Amino acid sequence: MKQVIKAENLSFGYEPDQLLLENLEFAAEDGEFLAVAGPNGVGKSTLLHLLCGLLRPASGKVRVFGEDITSLSRRNIARKIAIVEQNLSAVFEYTVEQTVSMARTAWLGTLGFESEKDLQIIRDALEMTGTARFADRPLGSLSGGERQRVFIARAIAQDTPILFLDEPTSFLDLKHQLGIYELLKRIQRERGKTLITVTHDINLACRYSDKVLLLADPLSWYIGRTKDILTSELLEKVFAVKMFSAELENQRFFLPLKLPEDR
Amino acid sequence: MLTIRKLVFEVIIGLVILAAVMLACAMFGSQDISFADVFDADTTDYQIFFKLRLPRVVLAGLVGAALAGCGVILQAILRNPLADPYILGVSSGAGLGVMLAVITGIGYNFLAGSAVTVCAFVGALGTVWLVWIIGYFTSGTQTTSLLLAGVVVNAFFSALIMFLTSIAQSHQVYSTIFWLMGNITEKPSPVLYSAGFLIIAGIVLLFIVSQRLNLLAFGRKQAQSLGVNITRVQFFAFAVSAFITAVAVSLSGLIGFVGLIVPHAVRLIVGPDHRRLLPLSAIAGAGFLVISDTISRTIVAPSQLPVGVITAIAGGPFFLILLARYSRKVSWYK
Repeated sequence: MKQVIKAENLSFGYEPDQLLLENLEFAAEDGEFLAVAGPNGVGKSTLLHLLCGLLRPASGKVRVFGEDITSLSRRNIARKIAIVEQNLSAVFEYTVEQTVSMARTAWLGTLGFESEKDLQIIRDALEMTGTARFADRPLGSLSGGERQRVFIARAIAQDTPILFLDEPTSFLDLKHQLGIYELLKRIQRERGKTLITVTHDINLACRYSDKVLLLADPLSWYIGRTKDILTSELLEKVFAVKMFSAELENQRFFLPLKLPEDR
Repeated sequence: MLTIRKLVFEVIIGLVILAAVMLACAMFGSQDISFADVFDADTTDYQIFFKLRLPRVVLAGLVGAALAGCGVILQAILRNPLADPYILGVSSGAGLGVMLAVITGIGYNFLAGSAVTVCAFVGALGTVWLVWIIGYFTSGTQTTSLLLAGVVVNAFFSALIMFLTSIAQSHQVYSTIFWLMGNITEKPSPVLYSAGFLIIAGIVLLFIVSQRLNLLAFGRKQAQSLGVNITRVQFFAFAVSAFITAVAVSLSGLIGFVGLIVPHAVRLIVGPDHRRLLPLSAIAGAGFLVISDTISRTIVAPSQLPVGVITAIAGGPFFLILLARYSRKVSWYK
């Protein structure tokens, strides 16, 4: 399978003498659903920003379809990678449709107006995410789940082969959590996109992802098939929490039991 | 969705209304003129209309368009709804330039003439770049430090202006105070043509980046990940708007309020899409200042008020009415 995005020897720290990630190596293959998990502060969101060139690594490289990301323009990157961030809000009150149409920026001509094709892509993205029925409402009037769908719609309308999501289900209730992950799975299957999702929800990651990158403190990491990485032994080691694990209808799940005695 | 056809239609309607307003305002004045005589070159009505009133109305329109357009741009690039064209030091820089020109005497004998205009222009543009450089070297293009640099430089230069005011002679001070309040006067036509060209060309250039300015509302990282070279767009928008604000200020002094409230008023009505907001705000700003200037030269005729007094007195309540009327639709204002 083709590697669409690859981290080579990637190191990064916000302070020069304090690395957050060191010599990280992994790749996501075409059409794969990769979950990034790990305790708070290990650099999961930072990793996403490194992978789409918003941050520069201290050393090492990120390759997108074989090309060094630092050699690509912002416009060029935006045609390859879309990212859904946490807690997005705008200074001015845009409608859902206006927000989603911003995805087409990297594809527009000089004057910055959408072509008929752009409009069709925007409509498709609104339909696919179930946001078309409130397309004219201002973003501020939506619930958390609706908002998250709007930003996923925007990422779809960006029409990129790669999609990043930074904790897409934080602050959402159970139904919306499942709804978002079902949608992501559909995007993976129907559009053949490569997805990289940062998540705190081990059970959702276990159920939906093909591969897991588990970032552990300090500076170590594990990557592999979901069933090989998400095991109670490894999770106990990385999160320092006693885990209960079982299977129900062929689906593995985890329950945190208690903090270790020595805490 | 906004299409280019819809926008062109709206802009043409706006321009037609603006032309009608300008024509009507040029008919108004301390001296009654008849519409029939205006086109007869031998009459004094012709002289009044074409030589005095029309140039002044056109100047008011250009200055209003520049200030409102730049207000839109600065609110977008600073991601701050309280920004106006003067926030990054244009006002105090221009004021200081004028004060120096008057005190050293180079411009005193012809205050409405070119020396003051040039000093205002140089002061405005020089200060804006000073603010940009301070902001840039303290933290890249982070807007907070840029705003703080603007506020501090404004305060410092205002102090210098006050110092110069206190040591200047009273007749010198009197003539600059009108300028500081914002005052539109008749200008020779070459000045008008060149200002018209620069301001309109500037607004057209700003229109090209206006779609990308929409993305800035969601923050730097968002705009970047959607494909905007944010440093370049911000710098370009800043440079062009600083330049046309300096042109406007050097012609008319510090007319307050237009650059702050017109963008808000238009945004309340047409929404925050900058492709629409920029041209329509420019047209609305032109109309607003033309009307304000007409009031300022007629209300206490035969003497005149500085137009800045009118824009603030009329603009404030007008804006509050709009805010009350439309803010229910726009939760951001709540």
